[in-house]
Formats: sequence, structure tokens, C-alpha cells
Amino acid sequence: MEKEFLKEREHSVTLNVTAGRIDSYRELERTTGTVRVYDKGCIGVAGCLGEPDEEDLTGRAREALAFGIPYPCDLGEAAEQKIEGGEEIIPIPEFIPAMQSFLDRLGKMCPKFAFSNKITLMDQRSEYRSSAGRHLLSSGRRLDVQLLVQDRGSGNLFDTFLGWTGDRFDPEGMLEMFRKQYDAFYTPADLSPGRYPVVAETSSVFSTFLRHFTGDLYAAGASLLSGRLGQKVFSDRLTLRDDMNPGTAFGACFFDAEGCVSPDFRPALVENGVLKGLLTTKKTAGQYGLPNLGTASAPYDGVPGIGFHGAYAEPTARSLRKLVPGRAVFLDVASGGDATPEGHFATPVQMAYLMEDGQLVGRLPELNMSGDFFRMFGEDYLGSVRDDPQWENYMLSAVVMDVAKA
Amino acid sequence: MPEVIQFREGFYADVRTEDRYRTVISMKAGVLEEMRNRRERQAFVRVYDGRMWYYASVTDVDHLQRTLDGLYDAATENPHIGEDPVVRKFERNRDTLMRFEDCSVRDIPLCEKQALLLSCLPLLSEDHCITMPEGKYLDRSSLFCFESSLGARICYDYQTCGIALSFSMAEGEKKFTGNWQKGGTRLDEIQGLESEIRASVAEQTAFLRQSVPVEAGEYPVVLSPEAAGVFAHESFGHKSESDFMLSDESMREEWQLGRKVASPILSIVDDGGAPGCGNVPYDDEGTKCRKNHLIRNGVLSGRLHSAQTAAAMDEGLTGNARAVDCTFEPIVRMTTTYIEGGDLDFDQLIAPIRKGYYIKTIRHGSGMSTFTIAPSLAYEIIDGKLGRPVQISVISGSVFETLGLIDGLTRDVKLLSFVTGGCGKMEQQGLPVGFGGPFVRVSSMNVQ
Repeated sequence: MEKEFLKEREHSVTLNVTAGRIDSYRELERTTGTVRVYDKGCIGVAGCLGEPDEEDLTGRAREALAFGIPYPCDLGEAAEQKIEGGEEIIPIPEFIPAMQSFLDRLGKMCPKFAFSNKITLMDQRSEYRSSAGRHLLSSGRRLDVQLLVQDRGSGNLFDTFLGWTGDRFDPEGMLEMFRKQYDAFYTPADLSPGRYPVVAETSSVFSTFLRHFTGDLYAAGASLLSGRLGQKVFSDRLTLRDDMNPGTAFGACFFDAEGCVSPDFRPALVENGVLKGLLTTKKTAGQYGLPNLGTASAPYDGVPGIGFHGAYAEPTARSLRKLVPGRAVFLDVASGGDATPEGHFATPVQMAYLMEDGQLVGRLPELNMSGDFFRMFGEDYLGSVRDDPQWENYMLSAVVMDVAKA
Repeated sequence: MPEVIQFREGFYADVRTEDRYRTVISMKAGVLEEMRNRRERQAFVRVYDGRMWYYASVTDVDHLQRTLDGLYDAATENPHIGEDPVVRKFERNRDTLMRFEDCSVRDIPLCEKQALLLSCLPLLSEDHCITMPEGKYLDRSSLFCFESSLGARICYDYQTCGIALSFSMAEGEKKFTGNWQKGGTRLDEIQGLESEIRASVAEQTAFLRQSVPVEAGEYPVVLSPEAAGVFAHESFGHKSESDFMLSDESMREEWQLGRKVASPILSIVDDGGAPGCGNVPYDDEGTKCRKNHLIRNGVLSGRLHSAQTAAAMDEGLTGNARAVDCTFEPIVRMTTTYIEGGDLDFDQLIAPIRKGYYIKTIRHGSGMSTFTIAPSLAYEIIDGKLGRPVQISVISGSVFETLGLIDGLTRDVKLLSFVTGGCGKMEQQGLPVGFGGPFVRVSSMNVQ
């Protein structure tokens, strides 16, 4: 009987911000353990919250084989790989004073903004072990500053976000980035209806269409991409990957829930416009004759399922200035958009900036944007940028879309 | 509560524990994908010293005193904590309320739950255009205990169960993903639904074959109870969560009670006592639930509070401090939010519409200054009658303009419960809430 053992540990400290002041401190410690056993084409899974007792879990997983859940046993080759996270970002005792000092400076720099929400310091560790001799260990840290912003007097729940995720605390860099957004926020700008390059975080550009990349939907013929694996369907400029690389996905685990490790820790869905992969598990890949991408996720006590960690579009330019010279729209907050089954996408945009030569120059009124799936990522896909000098740690992509005032 | 908690003088503190049992059974294309029972015990401990809150989320519920003492050590003793405005707001309820002991899903064998799911799945294979039938049986049973340094001591149970079906359909170039789900609090509420499922599948396969693209523009729109409930939740419910008013003082003027904000026929309610998945007899800081009018006859008449926000705004508690589980602190959330009924029947509601649209089911909705709803099933209304099925990406509008454009409501109110999804607010996603309403007519909305 083959077996896998997984253990995950997460420790986080989260500060709540209200009106620019830290008003709470939350500490979370969570450990989970999982054992999966395979026998006669079936899987048995047992999991626990808290420190795992491997023997007990193994016994319970064996019992769960009786459910008869079909699952192939493919534990991969023996391997040892370990990636340990970097330096401590901020010692816990210094976390509150450091963040309050940063918030005080931010408040002085942006007096018309009211800040709320969370700042989190996260430390994660994942281990995978199998009876095939595979042993993987990943640990990482990250700092998440996610501030909701209300323009004082706007009457809105929130008007924009200021966000930063990284593996170090760089108050000067963050303040400089946030100041540019603040200045642009209070500079009115306008735009005639038309087709414009739209710049947005890569994950939000692709999120609506991600379901069409799932192996199940593909095999069922219900995906817009069905039957096109291996074919060129998008722009040459588009290479789209799932980002599990701790160098860009801070704190991420470099292997998936089934112990798969991809080259550069970024398995490819699309390479130079060619559909190369679909979101699968070992089971669905085998079932439908698809390559297994290695992006599975799993609850600690459940069977592996389809997963996706974060979009990474291979950079095609060094800066936004190079990617979208001239006039463009920077999409900041867009809530409520969706696509028809045929792939026509439309979304209201609550907050957007006008860009000139890659710089934010002013705040646009509320907009509507629309486009079509194959065109957006075909002829209308302009490319992507990672770490634009103005947007450190951000992955941004640009697509030409129809833009009109709401 | 697993142990006797010793609270210290000079602080406010409370301890919340949850013993949560969950079942997930999942079938796809006739094959068993998942079958599991999960039982988790977690606790969330809070200490307040009048200046800061200190929280800990732990899975070691047998040593809560040690966790609590650690938080006390981080906080600063405050001899006047009893006079703190937040502490003065807290209720001191003592109650034990076990409503599901005679029908707990914990006592029902897995095979019986699986049989219920298996009885539904053949209904998804009656039409050849369905290529990927999927079904889930889900349930949850929770035992909550809450104890505070003020003497509150509450234990109550909570339960949901349901069936969720989805089916990918394809015929030629036409593709559509259909859904059906029913949530309840007792297993017998989700049994014997074959005819309802069959009718829903037939309607959705007809939609795949017959639906036509919408002509984008401004039209009168009729919202089903499902769509109206989402509209109430997204467009106004979130704006009634008063934690968003704490950071910006000017918001309080903008949101003064008594201000006219909607059509005079519109009343929106949030009620933690309403039946269904949003039913919470006590919130997660021990406040008893109640019915709160957010809008009454078009006038802003209330908002939702935690103790912190109620104290800051000098208003009463509403029973809306909720956490998605013991990983998080309670924040201001909705329970069951709905629009109250009017005086028309459905035929009367659509009769005056020459050309408009009826939104029957939805995929999702959201609302800030502008709200959007992404419909799933929608129909034309032509000369006062329902017409062809139509494909609509989104309907949208300014929240306040749309609230003023509501000009018709049917009499009967339908409340809906769900077992998947839930309400998301920042880091806390998937909170069970109920919503609903009557059929609602809006004189003009943007349809795309």
C-alpha cells in the first residue's frame, strides 16, 4: 500500500487598522496533517487539525479506502528538495510600533484618505513525504499590507486600495508608490469612449476566464478552449503560468498538493500563444488523457482537486512606459464583471486612473469595459510587466478593451 | 466550554468555541469524488483593555486558560474597564438553545446522505446535451459556546444541509453551465425534490438551445426573489455594516438616520431570527439577534452593529457581530437580509412593461456605488408577457438611483438558503447568510 504524508503549519500575526490606528492584534497558529493511502485503484484520506499523529491518521486513511473513491496511484520519482524562506521580516515585538509609525507617515502624506483593514505577517511551512521516497519541504514568509481607502466625505464603503506584498518591509518604497496613487487620485481626468490599452493586475485580467482552463470542463466540451490543446489560440506574446515560485509569489509553497514540482515552479497553461496545459489533478489528467500540470490543491482531510495559485504572465517589457506608451487606463477597482458562455466579457469599473507613458496622471470617472475572450488574449493582448519601477512586486498585464463612461 | 475559565479583573475578555462537524459527498459523471466527515474544534479568545483588542485563534481547546493568560499579559490592566463605552454595550445573556438535537445531521449515516445525492443525479442525465453532471451533498452542524468576563454564558447549535448540482452543457457551439441547489436546516427539507430538479434542468437545457443575445440598453427590469435578495444584500446591506463608518467621521453625516434613500414602497430588513442558513440566535459576541429595519418606506432607519461600532455611534446593538469561524474575530456582518413584500401579484407586476427583462437566477452580484448582477437565466418581457430566454452579461446601475426607481413589489416574500458560496468581506469569505424578497420591478436599469 502506497502512502503520502503532508504537514502544514501556518503562523500569522494580523493587525487591524481603523481610522489609521492599529486597534487589534491577532495571533493565529494552525497545524494540519494529512495521510493518503492508495490500494487497488482507490484512495483513502484522513486529516487532522493540530499536530498530526501519523500512525493514527494512517489507520483512519486505510479505513477510508472502504468508501471506494477511485484514484490512480502515481507518487512520482524519489526526490529530495527543500526551499527555506528568507530572513525574518520584522521581529514580532517590533511589529506594532513599526507599522503604526508607517501608518502615521502615510496618514500625514495622504490627509484626505481614511485607512482601514489589515496588515499581516505570515510564516508558512509545508512538508510532503511519500512511500516512493519523495520528500519536499517548503517554507516562506511574507508581509501583506492591504489597506482599504475611503476618500473622506465620499460616502462610499471604500474608494480604492493601497496594497503591498513582499518578503521585506520597505516603508520608503511603499510610501513612494502610495504617494503617486494619492496624487493621481485627486487629479480629475477624462476619456472619450473608445478602445484603449487597459492595465491591471495579471491575476484579475485572467480570473474570469480561468474556469475555461480546467481539465474537467475542457474534456466535457464545455470550455471555450475545448479541443484546442497544443494549438495556437492566443497572441505570441502571451505565456501564462501558475506562479508557485517563492521569488515572485512570496511565501508560496513550491510544490502542489500531490507533490508535483514544475520547472521554475511555474507550470505553463499557455506558451507563446499555444495552449500547453490545463488545470488538472493526477486523477483528471489520467481520466481525460491530459498532461498533469501539477497545480492541485487539497483540503487537509480531502481528495486532491483542481488548484490555481496565482497568475504569472511572462514579462514582455521592462516597464509600463515601454509596454503602453502614450495613453492607457489603469484599472484599480472593478467589481461585478462577468462573461457570457460565448466569452463576451463586460465589467463596471469603479476606480481607474488615466496613464500617460506608464505614469498615473489622474483619476477617471466610473467606466464600463468590455471585450471578447479570444480577442482580448489574441490580437488585443499587449503584454506584461513585472516590477515596473512604479509598481514594485506587482505583475501587471495590458489588454486593449472597449472603454466607455458609466 | 471544555474547562472553567478564570477571568481577571481590569480587563474585558470573552472566549468562543465551536465544535464543527461537516460532511462532503461529491459525485462527478457518476463517479464518487469525495466522501468525508470532518470534525473540528477551535476557539477564539479576546481580551480588551480599553485601548487595544488582543486576539488568539487556537485549535488546542483544552488549554484555553493558558491562551487567555497570554493575552492578559500582552494587554494593560485597566481598573476602569467596566466604564468603557464598548464594554458597557455588551449583553450578559445566559442561555442554552439546542434546536437540532432531534434531527442532527451528525446522527445520520453517511450512506443515507449518499443515497439522497444518488437519487438526484440521474435527473441530470436525461438530456444528451449535459456532458458533465456533478452533485454534492453538504452539511454542517455546529455547537457554539460563548462565555464572557461580564457573566454571559451561551450555548446553542446551528445546522445546515443541502444538495448542490451543476451540469456543463454543450450543443454545437452553444455552451452553458447549469446549476440547481437547495439548502435547509433539516434533512427532510431537502428530500423529495425530484420534480423541482427535473423542471429546473429542463428550463436550463431550453435556455442553452433557445436563448438569444440581449439588446444592450436601458430597460425596465423585474428581479426574482433570488435576484432581489442579492440586490438588497449587495447594494444596501453592505452599506449598512457600520464598521465602514468608523474611519471617516464625515460618513456619519452622510448616513444620518431619517434620510430618504429609496422609493417609498421599499423596506429592507436584516433579521438574525429569520429561518434558514442566516439564522443566528446570538452573534459572536453574545448579543441576541433581532429584526432590524435598514430602510423603512424609503427612509434610512437603521444599520448593523458590533459592540465597537454601536458604542462609537452611540446606537443600540443589533446582533450582527459575526465571524466566519474561530479563525477570525467577529466583525459587522449581515444575517438574513430581505426586501419586504408589496401589494401586486406577478402578472400585475409585469403587465405595464412593453419591453424589458426578467432576471430569474443569478451567478453573482456585487455592489459599491454601482451595483452589478450577473444573471444566469433571464427572459424578455414583451407587452406585459414573458418571452424568449436571453443571454445577459450583467445588469448594473447606481445604487441610490436604482433604489429610487423601484416601482412595484409582489405580495409574497421568499427567503432562500444555500449550502455553497456565502458572503465575503475582506479576509472572511463564505459566511452563511440568507436573503430574499418578493418579485421587484425597477423602472430602468442598464442591461448588457
